[in-house]
Amino acid sequence: MDPPPPLRFDWERHLLFLEMIVDGLPLEYETQEINRLTLAYFAISGLNLLNALDRVQSNQISNWVLSFQVHPIRETDLESGEFYGFCGSRSSQFSSSFSEVSNKNCSHLASTYCALAILKMVGYNLSNINPEAILKSMRKLQQHDGSFVPIHFRAETDLRFVYCAAAICSMLDNWTGMDKEKAKEYIVRCQSYDGGFGLVPDSESHGGATFCAVAALQLMGFIGEDISPNQEVIDMPLLVEWLLQRQSGDGGFQGRMNKPSDTCYAFWVGGVLKMLGLFEFINKDALRNFILSCQSKYGGFTKFPGMKFPDLYHSYYSFSALSLLGEPGFRSLYVELGICSDCNG
Amino acid sequence: MSTSSDEDDVERIPLCSRPEWSDVQPLPQDDGPNPVVSIAYRDEFRETMDYFRAIYAADERSCRALELTTEAIGMNPGNYTVWHFRRLVLESLNANLHEERDFVDRITFQNSKNYQIWHHRRWLAEKLGTEAANRELEFTKQVFALDAKNYHTWSHRQWVLESLGGWENELEFCCELLEDDVFNNSAWNQRYFVITRSPLLGGLQAMRDSEVCYTSKIILADPHNESPWRYLRGLYKGEIQMLISDNKVPELCLKVLEINKSNLFALSLLLDLLSRGHQPSDELRAVIGALRSSQDIAGTHGLAATLCLVLETVDPMRSSYWAWRRTNLPTGVC
Repeated sequence: MDPPPPLRFDWERHLLFLEMIVDGLPLEYETQEINRLTLAYFAISGLNLLNALDRVQSNQISNWVLSFQVHPIRETDLESGEFYGFCGSRSSQFSSSFSEVSNKNCSHLASTYCALAILKMVGYNLSNINPEAILKSMRKLQQHDGSFVPIHFRAETDLRFVYCAAAICSMLDNWTGMDKEKAKEYIVRCQSYDGGFGLVPDSESHGGATFCAVAALQLMGFIGEDISPNQEVIDMPLLVEWLLQRQSGDGGFQGRMNKPSDTCYAFWVGGVLKMLGLFEFINKDALRNFILSCQSKYGGFTKFPGMKFPDLYHSYYSFSALSLLGEPGFRSLYVELGICSDCNG
Repeated sequence: MSTSSDEDDVERIPLCSRPEWSDVQPLPQDDGPNPVVSIAYRDEFRETMDYFRAIYAADERSCRALELTTEAIGMNPGNYTVWHFRRLVLESLNANLHEERDFVDRITFQNSKNYQIWHHRRWLAEKLGTEAANRELEFTKQVFALDAKNYHTWSHRQWVLESLGGWENELEFCCELLEDDVFNNSAWNQRYFVITRSPLLGGLQAMRDSEVCYTSKIILADPHNESPWRYLRGLYKGEIQMLISDNKVPELCLKVLEINKSNLFALSLLLDLLSRGHQPSDELRAVIGALRSSQDIAGTHGLAATLCLVLETVDPMRSSYWAWRRTNLPTGVC
């Protein structure tokens, strides 16, 4: 009996899905409102991966993104401890007449990463955005143990924000924004006994955290495509086994041991393997089949097979994973930064 | 993600119709020209945020401000600005933090994967101090009853133990969870955390032998469970010499292979041991020899190389990795 024909990537539906999102999102996304810039990053980077960035207006995008930037008013503002980056949404953005009163500046590391990534993708020259203010104030978000808070008032600290800081420095091509050595020390403490990385030291190894750890170390120059056992920064052989064992029997990747496969980990875990030069060791056909089994008839992708509605997050990471797999027609990714390779000029 | 307020069934009165808010001029969101990814906010969402913007800009730290943050959180529990302001208001009002904790308890169950809520719990627990430890540990247990792998809840529990204490029953708690579900990797991770960090146990060195014993039994009961294998390996973290010379480990692998000769975890652990210089026993040599025959492996190969060849067959998902391992064995390996 002939095997079933390989599943087809439904170009038109996905392009329509992304184009509609760039215009607007349904009310179900209200609860993700605080991360609106991140949603924009998913949509725009998604279109870029599908080689369809010409479907959006670069100037419109860059003007809109720039409108989220918080600018210091006085030179002394940069010493205040507040971060002068980008807000993630209008609901955390207050006009400058109110920012005279302290604590109104809600610019956030993750939003800043997304803002810079989008600006890079649409070809905006980042030297125009006062990078010194971003970097100088970002340094103050770094904690004694090397981790980062994402925002100047109290918030959780974990590997996600170390990654954001490293990505920001990389995109601005200026490492004065962080103490790399301390950041490395923190990352190393996050490697679990089983080789993967947790979000904070002692926590369970997790695909997303592992991506943040390895991408940050690569961006900072502490590891390369160096999987020799003599490399001393992290336990590489253990990490490699952990990564490869995340591919389950259904071909998809799980984010943690003994959990179900989920499309986003095709990127988080697959991306780490790609960065380490080990992507050839996975079963690519099986992964592609798993991802496409989550393809939605509405365009986009779901988290698991058999789910009804797609979401933007899982759609974007499915597109990213398909790019890693070399799906025809896709642009290639500069994995460490999560933007297309040719945007990293 | 709605609020768990008791007035769920009562229709919401718009803020603009409430007399107690009549003095406030709401600040609308200015989306600017040509916005991207506009969200189709419901009217009540938009209005609540417009009033919040006004109160936040004015830095009004009143009871009504607190209630407004409750409403805003109900609609959007991820808004860190609202949570931040709520904390400022609670401090200014010198509010009853036990009541606040009750509120957070209620909303956590519906939003158990929300970073901001767990962070707020942590802030509260810090303020309440060590007396909060037991209550926090109990609360995390309640969440685990619904989702025993909730990542936020595990982080919170670890933080409570390290910052506020309560280690006495933690190892027992891990045992219970593993009895419920021996595949729960979060529970295995917590076990490792307890073994290595608890001030009441002796640390990894002191606990190693008993943990190897405990883990071996579990592995033998179900060798397909990856978690205990990784845990076992983790018990020798930083002690490679001990790992390769402790006979208990290869003996366990051989016992597993007796039950199931294609168990990839046993095979890959043996490969790991040999690659690091473990000197194989006669029994190990014999078992690998038998595997070579049963897999019809031709040609002369060392023990480690044979294991790689077997793994290529029994773990086809990763066959190219095992093939690569075979060509990259350290020199001098058996």
